[in-house]
Amino acid sequence: MAISGRFVLLVLLGLVPVLLLPGWSSFFAVAAVLAAAAGADLALAGSPRLLQVVRSGPVNVALNARVPAELTIHNGGRRRVRGSFRDAWQPSAGAANPVQPVDVPAGESRRAAVVLRPVRRGDLKSPHVTFRSFGPMRLAARQRTIASAGSIRVLPPFNSRRHLPSKLQKLRELDGKAAVQIRGAGTEFDSLRDYVRGDDVRSIDWRATARRSAVVVRTWRPERDRRVVMVLDTSRTAAARIDDETRLDSGLEAALLLGVLAERGGDRVDFLAFDRRARARAGTAGKGNLLGRLVQAMAPLEPELIEMDWAAVPAEVRAVTAHRSLVVLLTSLDGGAPEEGLIPAAAQLAAQHVVVVAAVRDPQLGAMLAERSDAAGVFRAAAAERALLQRAAVSSELRRFGVEVVDAEPHQLPPGLADMYIRLKAAGRL
Amino acid sequence: MTGPTTEAAREAGPERTAVRSFRVRLRRHRGLAALVVLVAVGLGLVIWAQLAPKGDVVPLSVSNAGPGGARAIAQILGEHGVQVHDARNYDSAMAALDSSSSPTLLLYDRNGALDAQRLRDLADSSARVVVVSPRLETLRALDGGIRQAGVVPDGTPALAPGCSLPDARAAGQVSGGSGFVYDGGTTCFRPSGSAAGVLAASTDGRLVVLGSTAVLGNERLDELGNAALGLRLLGSSPDLVWYLPSLEDMDLTGSPRTLDELAPDWVRFIGPWLVVVALAAIAWRGRRHGPLVFEPLPVVVKAVETAEGRARLYHDYRAMDQARDNLRAGTLSRLAATLRLGPGTTAEAIVDATARQLGKPASTVSDLVNEHPRSEARLVAWARELHTLEKEVRRR
Repeated sequence: MAISGRFVLLVLLGLVPVLLLPGWSSFFAVAAVLAAAAGADLALAGSPRLLQVVRSGPVNVALNARVPAELTIHNGGRRRVRGSFRDAWQPSAGAANPVQPVDVPAGESRRAAVVLRPVRRGDLKSPHVTFRSFGPMRLAARQRTIASAGSIRVLPPFNSRRHLPSKLQKLRELDGKAAVQIRGAGTEFDSLRDYVRGDDVRSIDWRATARRSAVVVRTWRPERDRRVVMVLDTSRTAAARIDDETRLDSGLEAALLLGVLAERGGDRVDFLAFDRRARARAGTAGKGNLLGRLVQAMAPLEPELIEMDWAAVPAEVRAVTAHRSLVVLLTSLDGGAPEEGLIPAAAQLAAQHVVVVAAVRDPQLGAMLAERSDAAGVFRAAAAERALLQRAAVSSELRRFGVEVVDAEPHQLPPGLADMYIRLKAAGRL
Repeated sequence: MTGPTTEAAREAGPERTAVRSFRVRLRRHRGLAALVVLVAVGLGLVIWAQLAPKGDVVPLSVSNAGPGGARAIAQILGEHGVQVHDARNYDSAMAALDSSSSPTLLLYDRNGALDAQRLRDLADSSARVVVVSPRLETLRALDGGIRQAGVVPDGTPALAPGCSLPDARAAGQVSGGSGFVYDGGTTCFRPSGSAAGVLAASTDGRLVVLGSTAVLGNERLDELGNAALGLRLLGSSPDLVWYLPSLEDMDLTGSPRTLDELAPDWVRFIGPWLVVVALAAIAWRGRRHGPLVFEPLPVVVKAVETAEGRARLYHDYRAMDQARDNLRAGTLSRLAATLRLGPGTTAEAIVDATARQLGKPASTVSDLVNEHPRSEARLVAWARELHTLEKEVRRR
């Protein structure tokens, strides 16, 4: 039960009779009258127990977008329910008006909407709705909490979307051009066209030239229907914050851009979030568009405070595809002992696939390097130097096994990875 | 095996587990528990000592055996055949006076508890009144022509009788410290240069005023002629009523009205009703609109923390060699990258290439790069020189 401000005001007004007729009897009499009024109001209030809540509204929402979460309240009782309700969205859902008035006549339904402005990625929940039903005098209310699980999935923002047009442009330029310079296995015949100066003479199709008066060259287009497997590390190193986002978020951005780009490039994309077990999977082989499936799979991902099981990664990739593919490992270069985890796994994968390791570099290390004003600054520079040297050592070790490394600052990682993909595709290495 | 035991534990009920967990906790914090018990016992003893009845502490009470009491003289009087009636209040004093013939009344009214009417009734009922250190109102009510006349001056340990009163002459010298002197009637034991004395008797002899409690008190009874004076003053009749008025004898009817009585009736109810209003307001604002909801917060760590921690370790242990090695290796690798030297290039080759690039002698660059700074100040300067070198190479 709950009481209203009106009741408190009434109690304050009760001071007048108490003072006009001083005495304990009038004191208790006024108190009894007030209590009886509240009790009567409570008895006449519609039962909130008989309310039913049905949630509707959007399931997915972008970060920082405003969206109404709707709910339909049905009154199954015999009395009108008047009062208020509170939809218990968790704070990061950013409910603008969680407490609203409600007035549902007996046997009818009313619709209400709570405007949400989520500030965090993931599945945001509202476990229950609490109703307060006031009596006709609005003095006292019956309060009841009804379990009604609501959930909204806040999708990753995909800020790297802005790089997409330029990268797609680059990808289109590959068509019909790139393979002209580079002949070899894995390129596909596209069409014949007239020779122009600058074309590789080795690509002249003599048979076609013989049939015509002009010299004709063959053109190739980049290979299609290759496989791109992205493995996102969600282990403890993903929880590290660099600039203002975690490694996990930077990795998600890079994976989204690469995924969309590779799909437009005609390749098959598979995404796997993994630490000691698979946290999320998504891929081209499914219904709907790839981007939608990717963001759906990525939305609830959180860094797990456990060590990455690198030994299991090759098997996971093999489970996704048995063919030669581009395997992108989105991880970090400086967590724990990469020579025991990342390097052997990448080397093993590199034996069969083209492997790219994409990692975020902390721009603050570069800032620390330049601090040389006093002893503390020099020691900080030395520590930063050591961290950078370690990364460089791991990178060169990886390159020794034929693994490509994209080591970039958070905002440069998605375009960097996309450029690496385009370069590999242009080189016909997929 | 574990199944039945856990089953049994569950059947044993929550209170058994609660007792067990309490025991376990007790055993774990044995020292603390002992300390708590010790403090509690000490506290109890102190409180008990404070609250314990301490016997009679009323000055000049016949049952007070302390220095300020008058048990000694009462017992001596009793041994000499004087019946001492210890009256605790006005009614019992009046009853004792009425029940005996020609009684003597000892009155010691420290706080002025008796009003004039009661004092007159007491005086009328008794054959002789001995008043000890009376107040102005008391003397006025008794109307014996005796007035207050100040105090015995300091430094007067003994006073001589100096009068014709037989009791005083028989007693000889008495203690004089911290007494009051009275004027009027017959005065004895006068301090030098004063007409007033510690002992004053009205002309009819029914009222005797004694200005010193020391004469009757246990502490000084055996000194000088104190005992003699006291016994002669109090032991002249077979019945002695020993009356020390207390606060309960005070007549309250005439006392001034309090603020509470002056205020109107309704004032008393404002406070309680405002408490009721406050409780209602607390219930109104304090009632939450449904249970709290949880916000699962993800773990986020600043990535640069590890490097900063390592920097603090270097600094705390003054790891200058380690810092120097790191900075040197970093500089060399960056120089190699800037000068487009391959990954396998030796340090000497990088130094040579740098010297050529800058047009400096190779020894200068080599000395700088291979230096081992021996102090922190030199380390800072050296690190800056390295930084400058890199910048110069990049500029060319």
